[in-house]
Parts: sequence; C-alpha cells; structure tokens
Amino acid sequence: MRQVRAIAVNTFKETIRDRVLAVIVVFALLMIAGGLWLGSISLGEQGRMMKDFGLAAVTGFGLIVAVFIAAGLVHKEVEKRTVFVLFSKPVSRGAFIAGKFLGLCATMAVVLAGMGLFLFALVGILDGRASGMVLVATAMIYVQLLTVMAVTIFFSTLGSAILASVLGICVFVAGQLSQNVLSLTRLGKNPLTEAISWVVYVVIPNLAAVDVKAGVVGEETLAWGQIGLWTAYLAAYIVVVLALAAVIFRRKEF
Amino acid sequence: MKHALQVTALRKTVHVGFRRRPVEILKGVDLAVDANDVFGLLGPNGAGKTTTVKVALGLMRPSSGSVELGVAGLGRVGYLPENPYFYDYLSGREFLGFCARLFGDDAATRRERVETLLEDVSLREAADTHLRKYSKGMLQRIGIAQALINDPELVLLDEPMTGLDPLGRVEVKRIIERLHERGKTVLFNSHILSDVHELCSRIAIMRDGRVIWTGSVDEALAGAETLEDFFMRVVQA
Repeated sequence: MRQVRAIAVNTFKETIRDRVLAVIVVFALLMIAGGLWLGSISLGEQGRMMKDFGLAAVTGFGLIVAVFIAAGLVHKEVEKRTVFVLFSKPVSRGAFIAGKFLGLCATMAVVLAGMGLFLFALVGILDGRASGMVLVATAMIYVQLLTVMAVTIFFSTLGSAILASVLGICVFVAGQLSQNVLSLTRLGKNPLTEAISWVVYVVIPNLAAVDVKAGVVGEETLAWGQIGLWTAYLAAYIVVVLALAAVIFRRKEF
Repeated sequence: MKHALQVTALRKTVHVGFRRRPVEILKGVDLAVDANDVFGLLGPNGAGKTTTVKVALGLMRPSSGSVELGVAGLGRVGYLPENPYFYDYLSGREFLGFCARLFGDDAATRRERVETLLEDVSLREAADTHLRKYSKGMLQRIGIAQALINDPELVLLDEPMTGLDPLGRVEVKRIIERLHERGKTVLFNSHILSDVHELCSRIAIMRDGRVIWTGSVDEALAGAETLEDFFMRVVQA
C-alpha cells in the first residue's frame, strides 16, 4: 500500500507540474468564460446558457486531459525506461497501475475542481445566487472521466499511446450512447441487433447514467437513488478494468 | 565462496517483427559473481550484457536456465540502467525521496539517506533543481544515488561511466571503491577497460550471447600487456 501511495504522489507531482496541462486548463477557463458572451446573445436565458455551455466545456476539456495524460502515463514510463528503475525495486506491476491511476485521479480532481469552481462563480454572478448543482454536475463528470481514464490506461498496456487515446475517446462517446442504442434496437424487434447492442451495453460503461447536466439546467428531474447505484457500478467497472490492465502489464518484458 | 549472483545456462529468445521471427539473445550464459567482489562484465555491443542483467532483475523472463540472487530479493539489490532517464518535473531530492518510499523507509531514515547520497554524488547544490535541467553527467550521478538508496548488498551498474567528465568518473570510481570497502558486491558493464582494470578483481567477457572467458584481472594480464590487448585477443579469437 505504501508503494501505491508513493507512486500516486509521484504521478500527481509529475502530471500537475506539466506545462501542457496548465495550458489546457487556461484554455478551458477561457472557453468557460466564453459562455458569458453566448449568454449575452440569448434571450433571457443567460444563466441556463452559462451552465449548459460551461458544463460542456468542463466535460470536453476534462476528457482531453483525462485521455491524453492517461494514455501517456504508462507508455511514457516504458518508452523513457523509468520502469527499469521502478521494477528493479520490489514494486509489483499491480501497485504500479494502481498508483498511476490514483495519482491521475488526484490531478483530475484538482483540474475539475478548478474548472467547476470557476463555472460556479460565473453562474453565481449571472444568476445572483449560488447554484450547488453546478458543482454536483462537475462531480459526476469526474466520475465519468475516472472511468474513461481507467479504460485508457487499460488500452495503453495493450498498444500505443495514440491508439489508447483514440479508444478512450471512443469509449467515452459510446458510453454516452449505449443506453439509447439499446432502447432503440429493442423497438426494432430484431433479436440479432438487440443481442449486439446488449453486449455493447454490458461491455461499454454506461456513462450517460450518471450524467446530470440536463437536471442542472432544469430539463429533467434527477433520480438520485439510481444515480448512486450507477456510480457504484462505475466504481466496480474501474476496479475490474484496472485489474485486467495489471494482469496484462505483468506479462510485459522491458 | 558464497555467490551474490549465479547465472546458469541462461537462454533468452525474443520474437521480433511482424512475423515474430525468433532471435536468440542469450545462448547459455554461465556466470558466478562472488560476494564482496567488484566484477566487470565486458563485451562488444550486442553481446548480451544488458539482457543478462535485466533477466537477473526480473525485467525480462528467461527462456531457460536460471538466475539465483545470493541476497534476500530485490530489496537488497541496486540497479543503474544504461543511459538513465528519470522524471522531468521532480527535483533530485524529490526523486530520491520517492525511491526511498518504495522501500518503505520511515521519514527520518529517508531524509538522512537522501542527504547522504546527495553529498556522495556531489549533487547537494542541485538537489532542488528539476531533473529535466540536469546534464547527462548529473543524471548519471542521481541514477547511481537511486541505485544505492536501499543500501543494497548487490549493486548492478550498466555503463556507470557513460557521459561523465573525468571528474565525474573519478567520483563514481570512488563510490564503487567505497562500496567494495563496505563489503558490497558490485557488477558493472563497461566499455572503458582502464576503469575495469582499476576497479575489478574479476571479469567475464561476453560475445554473441555467451560468456567466452571468465577469470581474475591478474589472470587476464598474465598473458597480455594491457586489459585492452587481452580483451581484443579473446573477442577476436
């Protein structure tokens, strides 16, 4: 456990100090602030527009950070041969994967907290009252991105960083759609397509189930009990995916 | 005599290219490094020196044969890889602290060990500088420091003199000598035969995945003027 902690702290320091990350975050904050302009050209929907656009920007930039850092995390260690230093010490491959993931979780928490609080402040200024739901929505985006990070790390143990990034983004998109696709194919009453969509639905994490953005802007009522259960499902999904990544990584030679 | 490292009939085949063509890197390596020895592993590029060390450390799996560490696991081994690269955004002090944490040292031991090693490798002044700003020689020295962070009994150094200026080389040689005085076992790969001559009591020469000669430096020099002459004769035979 102490090794996992040491690797996590090291990963956090390494990623949070990366200048590329700082550039992405600054750009993300500018985009979120751009919601002020969008709001100004909407008719009486400034606050709603700000929340909608802001949360989309938080998701988009969060996804960029999650996927590109997660894809390079394991790969960079192998490529630059820092794994020689780690694995010539009594460090297990499982501890390495877990530490890398937890370190990136901490970095992601800082990045999303920064973006979420900035959006929260802007919405507060526009609406004249604080909207805690913006922070709740940011927290649920965090849950989605943790899942994508775990999947991307898994793919990075199999292939290149670019492939892992692309597949990570694909899983994010598919995770937003899998529930709808399953519902649609059920309407078609074709057993084959229904079976295929069911397999996709089971394999791909259902990220849409924890998406509360529509609730934040008042488009739908949120069922918190179900959202809690889906969050637990995603947590279990992360554990399984990381365990598989550790098994694959254990077989690697350097 | 107790061996700190014993390698027996070690073979390693890797598969390369799209068709997974098998290439035999190690073709039956036999090697025994005595405890408290400074052992030089020599050979031309591609002879299998680094692969032998990697298999010994578990970074690669042997195809057949065996490796026995005469120390209590990797926790008592230190390793410096060839052309080391470390974490860009960590300072030297942070990096050594991280390595010490991997061995579970308590905070006081960790601090003391890190400061002693920074002193030993003459990096105290650059201790808080990020590693991306280190020169090649400084990286080599911080690499040696991380290899010694757990006070290992067996130290494996892959080309420890590479990239060092004459002053740096003298410092590394002194570190190796001090390790020997403290009863540690050191195995190092090097192409700089004068350093090997100066430091090692025993050597092994590898070529094409095999150990083709092993013995003491005195034995090698019995029939040759310099170690370089002897090396050339053995390798070209």
